[in-house]
Amino acid sequence: MPSKRKAVASKKIKATENSDPSSASPPNSDRDTASTSTGTTPAAALPSTNNGNTDSILDRSKARFALARPYDTLLQQKGGALSALTPAEQSAWLSARIASRLARRPVFASSTAASPPSSNSGSSFGRDLRGAACGGGPKTLKEVWRTVNEASLPLRAAAVPLVKGLEEGISVKEFEARWERKVWLTCSDVASRCFKEKRERERRGEREEKTGERVIVTGQEIFEETGRRQQMAALRTELYGGGVRKDGKLAADPEWDDVVPVVLEEPEGALAAIAYPPEYAEAMSYLRAVMQAKEHSPRCLRLTEHIIGMNPAHYTVWLYRAANVFALKLPILDEIAWLNEVALENLKNYQIWHHRHLLVENYFPTIASDPAAISAFAASEREFLRQILAEDTKNYHVWSYRSYLVGKLGQFDSAEELQAIEAMIDEDVRNNSAWSHRFFLVFSNPEHATPGVAATEPDPKVPQAVVDREVDYAKGKILLAPQNQSGWNYLRGALVKGGRKLGTVEEFASGFVKGLGQGEEGEQVQSTHALDLLAEIYAEKGDKEKADLSLRRLGQKWDRIRVGYWEWRRKCLETPA
Amino acid sequence: MANRQRPPPAAARQPSPDSDLVDEEIVFDRRSLRLMIPDLFTQLPPVRDALVTETSRVQDETVSVCLPSLSGEDESVEYNGHGVPGLSRERHVNFLRKSLGKLPGAYVAADASRPWYLYWCLSALTMLGEDVTSYRESVVATARSMQNDSGGFGGGGRQLSHMATTYAVVLALALVGGDEAYEVVDRKAMWRWLCSLKQPDGGFQVCLGGEEDIRGAYCAAVIVTLLRLPLDLTPESPAWTGDSSVNLLTGVADYVRRCQTFEGGISGQPNAEAHGAYAFCALGCLALLGHPARIIPSYLDVPRLIAWLSSRQYAPEGGLSGRTNKLVDGCYSHWVGGCFPLIEACLGTSSSRITGDVAVGDPAATSSTSTTRSKARLPPAEESLFSREGLIRYILCCCQDQSRRGGLRDKPGKNSDPYHTNYVLSGLSSAQHQWELDEPEETAASEGAADAVWAVLPYLDGVQIFDNKDRVRPIHPVYAIPQQNVRAMKEYFQQKQGF
Repeated sequence: MPSKRKAVASKKIKATENSDPSSASPPNSDRDTASTSTGTTPAAALPSTNNGNTDSILDRSKARFALARPYDTLLQQKGGALSALTPAEQSAWLSARIASRLARRPVFASSTAASPPSSNSGSSFGRDLRGAACGGGPKTLKEVWRTVNEASLPLRAAAVPLVKGLEEGISVKEFEARWERKVWLTCSDVASRCFKEKRERERRGEREEKTGERVIVTGQEIFEETGRRQQMAALRTELYGGGVRKDGKLAADPEWDDVVPVVLEEPEGALAAIAYPPEYAEAMSYLRAVMQAKEHSPRCLRLTEHIIGMNPAHYTVWLYRAANVFALKLPILDEIAWLNEVALENLKNYQIWHHRHLLVENYFPTIASDPAAISAFAASEREFLRQILAEDTKNYHVWSYRSYLVGKLGQFDSAEELQAIEAMIDEDVRNNSAWSHRFFLVFSNPEHATPGVAATEPDPKVPQAVVDREVDYAKGKILLAPQNQSGWNYLRGALVKGGRKLGTVEEFASGFVKGLGQGEEGEQVQSTHALDLLAEIYAEKGDKEKADLSLRRLGQKWDRIRVGYWEWRRKCLETPA
Repeated sequence: MANRQRPPPAAARQPSPDSDLVDEEIVFDRRSLRLMIPDLFTQLPPVRDALVTETSRVQDETVSVCLPSLSGEDESVEYNGHGVPGLSRERHVNFLRKSLGKLPGAYVAADASRPWYLYWCLSALTMLGEDVTSYRESVVATARSMQNDSGGFGGGGRQLSHMATTYAVVLALALVGGDEAYEVVDRKAMWRWLCSLKQPDGGFQVCLGGEEDIRGAYCAAVIVTLLRLPLDLTPESPAWTGDSSVNLLTGVADYVRRCQTFEGGISGQPNAEAHGAYAFCALGCLALLGHPARIIPSYLDVPRLIAWLSSRQYAPEGGLSGRTNKLVDGCYSHWVGGCFPLIEACLGTSSSRITGDVAVGDPAATSSTSTTRSKARLPPAEESLFSREGLIRYILCCCQDQSRRGGLRDKPGKNSDPYHTNYVLSGLSSAQHQWELDEPEETAASEGAADAVWAVLPYLDGVQIFDNKDRVRPIHPVYAIPQQNVRAMKEYFQQKQGF
């Protein structure tokens, strides 16, 4: 903080030299109020009262109010009845009242609009004067001014009203500090208007009158204006409280001066209308404006980041951001680095993944002919995917992106990719997303996948060595947790792809089912999925009876919740293929 | 890798008749014994692995939070003789009506999905028997503010039109019904916009420059058929070839087929993992392109799909999960549960055996490469392919927010929200009803099954574990809104000449 104060101080000196108070910082509100007595503040120039030690500004205001109305005070002192005053005093009192009213009257206001003065005046002179105030001729008015003049009444001071509201309870010193800040605010406002004016002249392409050079708003000026508006906003809040309409972050930013925000009003009776936080509502109104103008610029990019920070599920903003990135030809890898942070903070968001998809679509052509660059990119993406999947191991959108990326970058044969997936299956053998990805890596590899063959159909092009490897892999994992359906689905899928009979794993599957149909004691099932597969294997072999028994036992005991399905499967046995 | 032994979840201590019971355990289980709750829903499954991994840990945790609700252990809830609480209609209705009102600033994350709130809330209110026509004027005004001149509806005013939000707005308009609501849609602009999203590979982008996935295909099929839009492509469409036989629905079924995975389920886009939400999109989409009994077996491996769908139901929870080795979640009551009526229609009844040949008139069949699929005859599903009792128990015991808040939810311990409230109720509706589809005619028109006549009946087989007053209204198995709303909207646009 000390360095900041120092900076403020030096700036202030400079400002004094330039006699431009608006570029100085506002009076520091938390400083020792004693400094206001140094004579540098405008408050010191105020007419001082005869009671300089008055604590409350209200007291001082009352004292001045009384001083400005000497005959009212006199009247009060004499008990409040006009008859207690001498005729001369009466005349002066009345003239003062009328004159102060006349003084406050708008210059061109019709005289009939003036309100009649107090009606408790008893003297004839008073009645004359009243007539004058209500529209009397210039002659009577002349009389009033003469009286006022002779009595040396402080008419102008009398026009100052008593303080009210916010300022009523504060001390004189506080009031003076406040006053100082109000002056600063006014000066800043003038400077801010000058800035906007210059901006406008720059936009119109005008030239300086003296030098003939084009009007240009410098970066320094924008920087100063930004700071000025922030200070003004803070000061307004401080002086007038939160009830005053505050300018939003963007409205206060000179960078956005040229944009007229498009504010949307919800129609009457709109359903599920959201009470938007002001910051969000403001940002959206600027977004609508720049989208409408089809603007692509660094500030638009920043605006999208601002909105995404508040609502990452806003698909319109994401697509607009992508359009900006591409239009500005920004380095894609920078955008990806930014996106990594956002993704890690918003694990469940899926707009992020489409954005990434678009970035890769745009980036890939630039590295397509450079295998080293592709490998490097694949490696960095793999590292990021490792991080995000460590947080959320089955995130659907991450896995969908991963399969897209493998296809795009041709990573089917990448040992690293396969190892990364194996590591995840080793971490949690029940992670079905990892199993699915492995199936894709192996069986959708364009090296040996026939295009157009459905996922549940045999593919004659798949090498038998690959099928062997995958069958063995699945078997090994099933042994770790025989009731894990992921392993069984994979095993069955691999057999079908390889065009093999399910019976080729009968022995393996039988290992998890003992004593089928041999009563409650003898029958042991370690895996309902093994029994399910065995039922298919028996049917494949034509052993309907055993198949039927397997399905019956599944429905009766081992997997009762699915009894409707097992019964249907039994009916399938009866149906000729 | 963890090799610890896997202990049973805390709440799942099972008294076995052979063991000596301590008094505490008798007290613990007395309530559920008094109620007629099959032990299938109060005990751990008979086959469990010892190996502990993250998946088994969260699965055990889920069973633990569900068991007290399933066993009638919640003191604050009233159970019927089957150990099932009633449907708290009034609280759910209040929750939904509130969600349609002014939402606080914290809902800013929902700024791009407000049309969904309209659809979810109105649809759920309708299923609960509420009259939503009083919302017509508000829906009309809200929908208007979200429509773009270039066609379609965005998530809010001046937002890019999106397939999902457009789908939601169209359904919301159908739910409140009436000419004024139907007339909101600029159908010509809508048609042009859909053409601009149609891709050469048959699928649809969800918005201009957005991703292509099976949601896009399902939403497009719903929008096109409900609004009776022409199928012709505009020359501006990315899929336009100049060949007039290529239209908006060409290749959609093939795209769906490419999304079936080796597990039998359906993924969001080709080469991803099978997921429940996409299974419904796939079947719903196909059911709009042709007669389910013909088109589904033509493009999908039905036995594998049924095996996968059936595997989504777990015990003791009774609820459905979205993927292999993932947890049950109330919303899959619809996404997976809603597949069964379509699958059953595809299998037909015993009196009608469908062979699965694609009729020549099916628009989707013309470019198909998959008609060579083997046509094994499949038996009809005389009984349910899934446990309706299990699903209904999960919904009524575990998915209701029993606090004053109301609404339905993913699972105990989660907050209710309009999304879950709607899809849990949709699932409840399909579990409480059965659908029959008219026989496909040999000379099917190109309209496919968009006009198929579905007949609905309350499901009455077996023991009914819920009270009759808790039966919610039936919904169309494809459009997921009441049948009469579907019919009224289609008829309105059918009678219109041109746009």
